[in-house]
Amino acid sequence: MAATELPRTWPTQKVLQPTPSELYPSSDNPDLLEINLGPNHPSTHGVLRVVTTLDGEIVVGLKCEVGYVHTGIEKNIEQKTYWKAIPYVPRMDYLSFFSGETAFCMSTEKALELEVPRRAEWIRVLFQELARLHSHLVFLGTGSVDLGGIALLFYCFRARDEVLDLFEMVCGARMHPRYCQVGGVAEDLPKGFEAICRKFIPFMRNQLDQYDELIGANPIWLGRTKGVGVLSPEFAMQMGLTGPNLRASGVPYDLRSANGGYGAYRELDYTPVVEQGGDVHARFRVRIEEMRASVDLIEKVLDGMPGGPIIADDRKVVLPPRHELHTSMESLIHHFKLVTEGFTVPAGEVYAPIESARGEFGFHLIADGGPKPWRVRLRSPSLVLLQSLAPLCEGVYLADLIAILASIDPVLGDVDR
Amino acid sequence: MGVIIRRVEHRGELTLDIPVDRLLDVCGFLRDHEGYDLLSDVTVVDYLGYQGEVAGYWGGGSDGRDINHYSHSGKGAVPEAAGPKRFAVSTTLCKVMTVTDGNHRRLRIRVWLDDNESISTLISVYPSADFHEREAFDLMGITFEGHPNLRRILMPDDWGGHPQRKDYPIGGEPVQFSDEV
Amino acid sequence: MALRPDAPHDLPHTVPPTRTPPSGAVVIPPAQVRRSLRSTDLDQVVMTTSLEKIFKMATANSMWPFGFGLACCAMEMIAMISSARYDVARFGSEVVRATPRQSDLMIVSGRVAHKMAEPIRQLYEQMLEPKYVMAMGACSSTGGMFSNYSILQGVDKIVPVDVYVPGCPPRPEAVVEGLMVLQERIKSGIPSSSINQETQS
Repeated sequence: MAATELPRTWPTQKVLQPTPSELYPSSDNPDLLEINLGPNHPSTHGVLRVVTTLDGEIVVGLKCEVGYVHTGIEKNIEQKTYWKAIPYVPRMDYLSFFSGETAFCMSTEKALELEVPRRAEWIRVLFQELARLHSHLVFLGTGSVDLGGIALLFYCFRARDEVLDLFEMVCGARMHPRYCQVGGVAEDLPKGFEAICRKFIPFMRNQLDQYDELIGANPIWLGRTKGVGVLSPEFAMQMGLTGPNLRASGVPYDLRSANGGYGAYRELDYTPVVEQGGDVHARFRVRIEEMRASVDLIEKVLDGMPGGPIIADDRKVVLPPRHELHTSMESLIHHFKLVTEGFTVPAGEVYAPIESARGEFGFHLIADGGPKPWRVRLRSPSLVLLQSLAPLCEGVYLADLIAILASIDPVLGDVDR
Repeated sequence: MGVIIRRVEHRGELTLDIPVDRLLDVCGFLRDHEGYDLLSDVTVVDYLGYQGEVAGYWGGGSDGRDINHYSHSGKGAVPEAAGPKRFAVSTTLCKVMTVTDGNHRRLRIRVWLDDNESISTLISVYPSADFHEREAFDLMGITFEGHPNLRRILMPDDWGGHPQRKDYPIGGEPVQFSDEV
Repeated sequence: MALRPDAPHDLPHTVPPTRTPPSGAVVIPPAQVRRSLRSTDLDQVVMTTSLEKIFKMATANSMWPFGFGLACCAMEMIAMISSARYDVARFGSEVVRATPRQSDLMIVSGRVAHKMAEPIRQLYEQMLEPKYVMAMGACSSTGGMFSNYSILQGVDKIVPVDVYVPGCPPRPEAVVEGLMVLQERIKSGIPSSSINQETQS
């Protein structure tokens, strides 16, 4: 079966009326069937409930119901000091968990005007790329299960274990490492880390080649993903999409390179990965190529890793090193105040976005001058992604709905927070 | 433009306060003439009690260890009032496709509301505000006039109250020997 | 670990000298008796047990999980099921069913919001006896770090739980240990917690 070529001109995509995120059937056909997908269903994007109206196999109506894992994280964070709030944050977007920690720490550092040492920035980039790899691996594995090809799941989860081994080496926990601290990172890289990370790089490249072999020319895969769920760049802008979904439609917008980037990306000179198709196939390809780019970035970071401190020196924010507590009274007082009360952040509003595996991921932090944040709002990329599910699924088969949902890659922990 | 009430610059970010009734005009102007084509976020902040008393640093207000009482303890000084009313609805806009790399700018437009005031919906200008506004309604109780589908999104449909407001208790079960939840 | 629960613990190391092998039988040297079971060694091959024990062993060694992935713990649950390192197939649990009607063990992996409580209860009711529930992770055991208006402080408020696996998220090995503890529980005769439910017919 020859792969279908995508038309060069984008199909006109109109914003749905009256509600942009819900599709209503236009006919009063009495044979329309309204069925419920979820909240518990095998495609493991989380607990998403999609109420579809079907005309035979064709989707004519669609509504997303979310909130089944609403955790009230934002309100919980208001009760905790900044330091204690860090473990809450990776549990929102639980696939690229380190990105969440980094975003929160970055917004707190922006509010404090605290400078992070160079080595800490490079280490953060290393782990953000590993988190991106983790997220894309799970995406690829579960996405291919959604499309019916279960073999890729086992390959991807095997590679995922290697990624989590690296996280475990540095801080003890596989997922949700709570490794990022306000001011830097919690611990330095252990002694054997670089050697094992360097062995991981060719392993991962080999794995990516294997994935390409499995699905790159597979006629069933191409037939199911090419031309399905086409998203034009203007429509993506209207629906607020960012991240790999936008880059699959040809827009080279990536926060790691936009305006020079943030953190250590400023020194690493990253070029965004862009595809031109705008369909499900392009979204899968963007993420596979992003995995390759992540591995290249990891290699660059290891090659150029600077020495120096791993956390800022400001004793009003960062704990003093333990050996100082034995000799310096001031350090003891700082330690006491930081552990009991926490550091205070000057009043004001900041927004620090980063590029997570899903798109623009930012913390809108409102500080009141006290040790606890007044309000923390996570700009979740997945909430915005789900709005575009209904317009993309107009008139497609039910199986294509699953493919489109898999390709836009929402994470329900991020949607519901 | 003569509509800007106040202009705040903090940590390199620009926030413009505008009156509630001019929101749609301003956003339309920004999208069509200034090139802000991406709506990044719609955030609602509840400033009830923002200038509360400076309490001791073991947590809680002067009422003691009440876990359901919002706590803003340990401040060195009382902050100045953030705005004239209780709620602030901020819309963060971003320039993405209309500029070349290096010129992506962000702008925050903020309007101030009281408890029973409503605000017009931004869907006609930025369709991606849909779920954001529903969430603001659900969790904070802000009514968006003209929103075609303003119903709860994250909480169950029959939930009472708006959980993220500052006068809504945090809930949960009390934990022994702990002054925090 | 004994392969047969009712195997005699004092297996004879040597054939008693007064015993003559049946005619035509192959004489097995004593050192090989325990290692190989041939059909001619009647007193080593035949075991007596009760039907109950067999059923319990069958139940324990073929728990089909109902993959109820809610949040982050679901990732580790999938890792347990579909990763060669933590292979749960060796416990007979590789058949993860998407429908509760064909599964034995509901692994509640992740935080349970109030909105999700009703579907969970419905799904639990749809499972067939004997059914077991494993609360995987801190959030489903006790509510975890989320003590607030939205999260159920433990899934045992709506379904009876047999095994609690702590962790945030627990390592796949920890979940496997939870599964093994459940297997021991079943083999030792403790009935599933669902018998205390009034709704059982």
